Parts: sequence; C-alpha cells; structure tokens
Amino acid sequence: MRSWLPVLRERRRYLAIEVEAEDRIRRTDLAAEIWNAQTSLLGDLGAARNRLRVISFDGRFGIIRYSHQRTEECRAVLATIHTIGGTRAAIRVRGISGTIKAATEKYIPQSTLQPDENVRRVDSGLVSGSVARVHGREIDLCPDDRKMTEGSGTRYVGLTSFDLCGEDTDADGTSDGL
Amino acid sequence: MKYYECNLHTLPDGSDSPSRMAVAAKKLGYSGIIISNHSTAGEAYGIDAAKLVGGIEVVCGIEILAADQRRLHARAASLRDRFDFLAVHGGDEKINRAACEDPNVDMLAHPHGGRSGIGVAAAKAARDNQVAICLDLGQMIKLRGGARVRWMEMVRRDIDLIEKFGIGLMISTGSRSHLDLRSPRELVALAALLGVERKRAVEALALPGSIVDLNLRRWASVGVELL
Repeated sequence: MRSWLPVLRERRRYLAIEVEAEDRIRRTDLAAEIWNAQTSLLGDLGAARNRLRVISFDGRFGIIRYSHQRTEECRAVLATIHTIGGTRAAIRVRGISGTIKAATEKYIPQSTLQPDENVRRVDSGLVSGSVARVHGREIDLCPDDRKMTEGSGTRYVGLTSFDLCGEDTDADGTSDGL
Repeated sequence: MKYYECNLHTLPDGSDSPSRMAVAAKKLGYSGIIISNHSTAGEAYGIDAAKLVGGIEVVCGIEILAADQRRLHARAASLRDRFDFLAVHGGDEKINRAACEDPNVDMLAHPHGGRSGIGVAAAKAARDNQVAICLDLGQMIKLRGGARVRWMEMVRRDIDLIEKFGIGLMISTGSRSHLDLRSPRELVALAALLGVERKRAVEALALPGSIVDLNLRRWASVGVELL
C-alpha cells in the first residue's frame, strides 16, 4: 500500500461481531449484505464516510473495520441486517476496539482446548498440560490435573515464558519463549 | 437503567418460545421482556417455563387486535384485569385514534404500519389518557427502498408531534423470533437516525418497566392504592 503522511492518516476502529444465523454464512455474503445495507440506509455519501470493511470472518465471529467517530452509524447499519445470503441472521456487536489485536483478544473467544488434543505440550516437573492461549510472554495452560485450578476457580494455569525457558532475556516481548 | 423489550410475539404468534426470547434478550442486555401476543392468536405457549429463566423479568401482556373502535374499547375493558400490559395493534387511522382515547390502554403498537401516523387529535388524546406510543423499529430493519423512505417520513413527522405534546415514547422491534431482537444500544443508534435524541431513546427503552411496575400495584380506584 502506498505510504501516507502519518499525521493525515485517518483513524480507525474495529468492531468485533458475532453472527447469529440459521445456517452457515460465507464471508462474501456477509460483506455484500453489509455493503447493501449501508448504501440503502445512509446512501453513497454516508458509506464513503463510514469506510466499513470486513477484515476477517470465520463463519461466526468476525472483525469489521470502520472510520473512527462513526460508531453510531455503523451500529445502525449492522442492526438493519436481517438476512444474509437468503438465510435469516442477526449481527451482534460484541465490542469495539482500537486495534485488531485488542479486538480479537478481548471480544473473540479463543477455542477452548482439551488436554488430550494434540497441541503444544508443557511438561516441566510440577506443571504439565497443553497450551490454550499465548499472548506475548503470558501463557494460559490447560492443566492435565484439574485439581490445580480448584482453589482459584479458573480454568487455566497462568504461566509466562520465563517459567518455561529459565533465563530467557529477549526484551522485545514478541517471542512466546516456546 | 432497566431496559425492556415491550412488544414480543411468541408461539403461536411468533416462531420462538417465550423462554428462548428471554434467554436471547438477557444476552443482549435487557432486564425484562413483555410478551404481547395478538388477542386472536390463542393460548400462549410455555409462559411458565420463561419465568424460570433467571436474571430477566418476563411480563405477560396482550396486543388487542380489533376491527373497529367499539370492539376495541370493549376488549380493552374486559382484558384490563387479566394482563399486566395492554397494547393495541395500531396502523389503521381510526384504531390509532380510538386507542389513544382509551385510558385502559398502556401502549399503541406500530401506529405507523398503515398509510397515516397518529395525527394531532390522537396525539392530544394520548397525552390526556397517558397512552404511550411505540416506535416499531422492526419496520426500519425489514423494509428497504421506497417503502422505508415513506415509513421514515411518517415517523419523523410523528416524532416531532410526540416531542411537542410530551407523550410517552417506547421503542421496540416487534420481534417474532430471537433473530429479530436488537440490543438496546443498537436501537438507540437506529432511533438517533430518525431524530430521537439519545437521552430520550434511553428513557423510551426504560418506560415499559415503570408502567408494568405501576400496573402490578393494586389500585382500588384512580389514585387510590390497596396496601
């Protein structure tokens, strides 16, 4: 993409959505329906201001980008959608965020893994289990022994990459240390 | 604020059971729902099951469907004591007017379903008899193109009238399925496009709850409560 002056760059917001439907919804149908709904409700002028785009959609949860400060209009547009590709559906807004990463982490539920599934394993003496989520240095572990989380009421054991790799000292925070 | 969805149709009038509606509405952030099936629809299915759903109040109301004014008044008088919330199926000009003139009625549902809205005479009557007007945003969600333009024109004019006379306003979707429900914030955003201020829209979503609370108290006569 062509670079733009940072001071002139238009700001964005991201909507995390959940589509409730009677059948499986394809991403192209969702994008087309949003497009139709917004030109129908707000016209070409309003649509150009909103700059709604479907960033990702997995059949149920999705991320939509729109122009900063147009939240109310975008909510209204999404609320007027009642069928998607001929299937009865409704779009629920789960939350709004300033970055794709935050929207995904805060509002889109991650798949919950069972201990027996073939995922990255951790076996280090005291703790053993499978990795459920990794966020920077923080690791959520689904323990083999359910009794480990009994007292705290949580489902996962919280670890960091430091626990697993000893003196891991890279400071950029991007490595998950595994 | 306690938000209420005030005009829901469940089995056999809609396609969902009351408990399914209650669960869906609770997930969307409502504190209560009012089931108001049409008076011609027959016995409601599974109201007792819906009352078991925790965290949301399920109120049993009715929407009177009448052919003319005389029958409307008779129905309203006879059903008043049996239901906690009395709505009237609006749309026809004469029925809209008659509903606004009947103090037994709590709410006039979708008065903009037909060709005319409420009009000045009915608005004055609604103010005097404390009948609330329900803005049915289901039309805004389902209609497209010319039909929606005409509907919006009519609603905009009537919203000015409602503001002028200070009539109670309610906002609903008139849902027949859980897929028709919208969250309170989405309804506020839709209403804002029609010229309803944010504060007013929030009040409109909370008004059904306060009316139901008043109806649930036992009144011996006007202004006299049995304690």
